[in-house]
Amino acid sequence: MIYVESLTKRFGRTTAVDNISFQVKEGEIVGLLGPNGAGKTTTMRILAGYLPATGGRVTIAGLDVFTKSLAVRQRIGYLPENCPLYGDMRVHEYLRYRGRLKGLHGRRLRARIDDVVGACELRESARTVIGRLSKGFQQRVGLADALLHEPDVLILDEPTIGLDPNQIRHIRGLIRSLASRHTVLLSSHILPEVEAVCERVLILHEGRIAASGTPGKLADLLQGHLTVMAEIRGERRAVEQALRGIPGVLEAICDPEGEWQRCTCRCEEGTDIREALFAAAAQNGWRLRELRGARANLEDVFAAMTGEAGEPGES
Amino acid sequence: MRSFFTIWRRELTACFLSPVAYVTMVVFVLLANWTFLEAVERNAGGAASVASLYFVSVFFWLPVLVTVITMRLFAEERRSGTLETLMTAPVDDGAVVWGKYAGAWTFLLITLVPTAAGVPLLAVLSPGIRTVDAGSLAVGGLMLALLSAFWVSIGLLVSLLTKNQIVAAICCFCVLCLPFLFQYLGPLAPPGSGRVLDYLSIETHIVEAARGVLDTRPLVLYGSGTLFMLFTSVRVLESRRWR
Repeated sequence: MIYVESLTKRFGRTTAVDNISFQVKEGEIVGLLGPNGAGKTTTMRILAGYLPATGGRVTIAGLDVFTKSLAVRQRIGYLPENCPLYGDMRVHEYLRYRGRLKGLHGRRLRARIDDVVGACELRESARTVIGRLSKGFQQRVGLADALLHEPDVLILDEPTIGLDPNQIRHIRGLIRSLASRHTVLLSSHILPEVEAVCERVLILHEGRIAASGTPGKLADLLQGHLTVMAEIRGERRAVEQALRGIPGVLEAICDPEGEWQRCTCRCEEGTDIREALFAAAAQNGWRLRELRGARANLEDVFAAMTGEAGEPGES
Repeated sequence: MRSFFTIWRRELTACFLSPVAYVTMVVFVLLANWTFLEAVERNAGGAASVASLYFVSVFFWLPVLVTVITMRLFAEERRSGTLETLMTAPVDDGAVVWGKYAGAWTFLLITLVPTAAGVPLLAVLSPGIRTVDAGSLAVGGLMLALLSAFWVSIGLLVSLLTKNQIVAAICCFCVLCLPFLFQYLGPLAPPGSGRVLDYLSIETHIVEAARGVLDTRPLVLYGSGTLFMLFTSVRVLESRRWR
């Protein structure tokens, strides 16, 4: 559905997007992930036909974004960053105006407005002036606008930025429910969001694709180094020694907490020492009150890719 | 064509959604009619026609009105980011420029209409003025409408070139005030150019029209000027696709 080939965008001397290529298949939800300034917004603006590319080719539904701009814009619903709206209009006025711009008229326009107002739960605020709505509701208005003309492709730039947790959950649910009818490309710098919503993730860093794959697959990249945490009741030095004796343990550190030792073991790639650790504790007659393996999650992949040191999280 | 009307309607309603529109209208009507009244009093007993006094008074304040109306056209959309939503909708650049232009011009004409009430009102109130020539009012009105069409197109182009409304306002006002200089430059200009400056002197056009003389030269000047400004605006808006 979306086909990007060696896309490059330069602003003067700075290169915002550097020779990236990717494809999004029909019905997929793909997340663009990256720190601020990684080139997410620039990429999306090019896809939406707002900015021209310096080099490369972008086609959406087989149409070139640059030469067939109007036809492409008819097929995409775009929610820009920060969701700019006319604050002086009422929600239904705004949606009617946008619908007309997108070529909807008469009965069909009314039906579509009714649909999107329902889907985005805006029914009660339909007559409110947009400027008086909370950020979350404004975001819904923007999303309703993007959905209005039933586009094949949705391009959402930071759709949940600035929302409270409830609103975020709602918007996420909404986006997930859209996947059956639309192809969705969304950007975010918040990892759990992408992890929760997207089937595939592209990590952008300094204008390049640093990694791509399903959230699980990306986490697998770091899974080689499993970290096992355990709390064992025993003498510190003995515990440490026993843990280091387990095959596959690279390093074991104990942190005393009363009579208990909080142990952290870094293991070799592909080994899981939890069973062996339990056996070692049982053999020595130590009590064990906690044992868990910490898997790398997307956050670690992200940190590793973008060159920031990060502690492995838990999953 | 449909998107042109949609944008035109949105621009016009946007004017009336903000209090700025009402303030602008009231202030303009007061200033123009006050100037008119002052002009009539000063010329009491003189040979000046009421119509020409009226049109010159409106014309005097017109740059301010055009500036206030046009400064926000694109500058505001650029600043608030709504230009991005507008330009990623399936509308072509021409429809955006013409729609916005038509909306602003319509609003300006709506603002001018109440000021026209000054002339008949004066005729009713003062027995000294027996008749007001309807023909000269019509021709003068046409000239004023065309002049404002031209000026609004200049304001639109200036607004398109900047992100800041204040910058847009100052630039637009300066450009619109240039013609006022022409009539004073006449005597200083090198020989031969005086006639050209005279052709360009907007005040001359207005005064001539207010006498009921329909000269086609200024009509062509304003018409072609407007088309040129709008053509340039469409190209400027398109230019973000080349950069």
